[in-house]
Amino acid sequence: MGPYVPKEMTEEVNITPIHPLMNLAHLFATVAVTGLLIYGGLGIAASQLATRIGPKTEEKIGAAITASLPVKTVESDSRVAYLEDLLSELQRSVETAKLGKAEYPPLKVRILEMDAENAMVSAGSYLMVTEGLLAAVTSENELAFVLAHELGHLHHRDPLRAMGRSLVFVALGSLLGIGQSTSALPSVVNLAELSYSRQQETTADDYAQALIVAHYGHGARSLGFFERNREPDIGALNKLVEWQQTHPMSSDRIERLKNRFQQKNWPTTGAATPLPENIGCANFTSCN
Amino acid sequence: MIELITFLILIGVGYFVGQHFESQHYASIKAREKQTLHIPLMTFGAKQTLPHAHEAQMFVGSVVVANDYFKTFSASLRNLVGGRMVVYESLIDRGRREAVLRMKEEAIAWGASQVINIRFETANIAGQQANQASCVEVMAYGTGIR
Ligand SMILES: [Zn+2]
Repeated sequence: MGPYVPKEMTEEVNITPIHPLMNLAHLFATVAVTGLLIYGGLGIAASQLATRIGPKTEEKIGAAITASLPVKTVESDSRVAYLEDLLSELQRSVETAKLGKAEYPPLKVRILEMDAENAMVSAGSYLMVTEGLLAAVTSENELAFVLAHELGHLHHRDPLRAMGRSLVFVALGSLLGIGQSTSALPSVVNLAELSYSRQQETTADDYAQALIVAHYGHGARSLGFFERNREPDIGALNKLVEWQQTHPMSSDRIERLKNRFQQKNWPTTGAATPLPENIGCANFTSCN
Repeated sequence: MIELITFLILIGVGYFVGQHFESQHYASIKAREKQTLHIPLMTFGAKQTLPHAHEAQMFVGSVVVANDYFKTFSASLRNLVGGRMVVYESLIDRGRREAVLRMKEEAIAWGASQVINIRFETANIAGQQANQASCVEVMAYGTGIR
């Protein structure tokens, strides 16, 4: 053995020569891309599921959502029967309007004890109308347009689509038998986030318009309710607000529908069908 | 929002301060390695006959290196996808070299002509939770002879 000759090591063999920030950027990109793919995949799966979800699951979802609503429903009111009749008349006109076959579960009509003028549908075909709306409409045509708009949402499965990505987890849960207790459902589905896109609203408007013309033979008086309850015009913010609260109709939406009457050559004059007396009061008996 | 700002501050502090200390540490390590280069270090000794010596003594060098927030965060991302923990490589490398240097410097002060039968031990201190800053202890020990 020769004498020891010290030799200095200059290479860094134990450290990968990559800048820590590059390493982090690379990691970030990988995680972000994978995350986006999963998120997008869930979205696609949700819209696929929305049209294929089983009726039993949909009824379960609908029951859970309506049960969790913070508003009381009006019990045993003869106005429910009236609304049901009006809705089934409208549904019969769907064929005449050539709007395609609807595949949603049978309608369940509810009147909500609420002064705000509104109507909504949820999964499972729960159609809810507020007492405020019933008090505010001045002709059957106006009420029918609102109901037809909601039927449009049901026809396009919008309540299910609005559940979006959470729908995938709900469906998986019910497939695997985890979702037996529907009480857990509202926490899976963020109720506050349930809203429709503008595209969905426009499509529901078009559906309602065609249905009203097919049913009454004209579009007269049908937009009256919306014109009286126009969203106040608040300038630049308008687009943002419109995105969030789609139900008081904006001027844009009303104008678009008016133009569409002309484009389609649909008559806009005709007699209004009157509403039953005291529709704003329980059981049609006069309110005090 | 406030959480995001706190997070960015922690990451920034972790990165800049961590990098600063790391480059300072490496400068010190490299300088001291050069100074102590004349004393050979060997890993044999347990089964081989030892070189002739009048005296032998064990020397221990131990160091605890702490992780920084930047490294912890990078590592937690790495944990999601797998692969080389690049950010920890320099941490462990610094630990090993510093421990060897401390052992060697003590042996030189004693008058050792070489240090044989060198072994390493490492221990993880705390850091069982994912978001808890962890640190590692590296210990080097060997037999100095003169
Ligand atoms: Zn709508």
